[in-house]
Amino acid sequence: MLSLFHITDVSAHCDLPCGVYDPAQARIEAESIKAIIAKVADNPDPDFRTRAILIKEQRSELVKHHLWVLWTDYFKPPHFEKYPELHTLVNEATKLAGASGTKGELDAAKADELLAKIDEIARIFAETKKA
Amino acid sequence: MPWPALVRVRGRSMLPTYRDGDVLLVLRGIRPRPGRAAVVRLPPDAGGHPRPLAVKRVTGPDPAAPQRWWIDSDNAAEGVTSFDVGSLADHDILAVVVGSAWRPLR
Repeated sequence: MLSLFHITDVSAHCDLPCGVYDPAQARIEAESIKAIIAKVADNPDPDFRTRAILIKEQRSELVKHHLWVLWTDYFKPPHFEKYPELHTLVNEATKLAGASGTKGELDAAKADELLAKIDEIARIFAETKKA
Repeated sequence: MPWPALVRVRGRSMLPTYRDGDVLLVLRGIRPRPGRAAVVRLPPDAGGHPRPLAVKRVTGPDPAAPQRWWIDSDNAAEGVTSFDVGSLADHDILAVVVGSAWRPLR
């Protein structure tokens, strides 16, 4: 098994995330962002709005986190070769969750755009799972 | 009599010391050295599936069971450690890392 004539792979992985990747995580956070935007629109209470905005910003960070984890840990060079648009998609999606998107704004259209981007990433993810 | 072997690191849990792709020279047939990295056999995961051979740092004896070894990853953010799987028996420390033999050119 271990020898000088054959190089054995030894793992330096964590095992919780290994194999447990799903763009659904990012989607759930993006859906709650969209719901928060709707609730804020219907509620003039400043305390509620402050709290909602705080949570919306946290959820936006989580969207970015989950997408980055997929990008760095799940997707591998062959995926990027087969789906060259993937880098741009992740960049655009995380930007949509940032200050110029759902994190900084209260715009339901931005949340919809974000959901659509996540769905595009999810479609590629599903295809890589089939392969 | 100790004998040498080569292993290749896969993953990021030993960053910054060892990178993915690094080839390490290891010695079999010697006692674990506290503070040194080692090739270890980890217990099966929660689903009962065997884990692959791993490279971890042997930090020292298990405080609760001095004849067993406490293992840790160098990258605090990643990796299975004794905090997850408990300490390891002597016979699960398969080889001691002597050093990096080769790092991929890039």
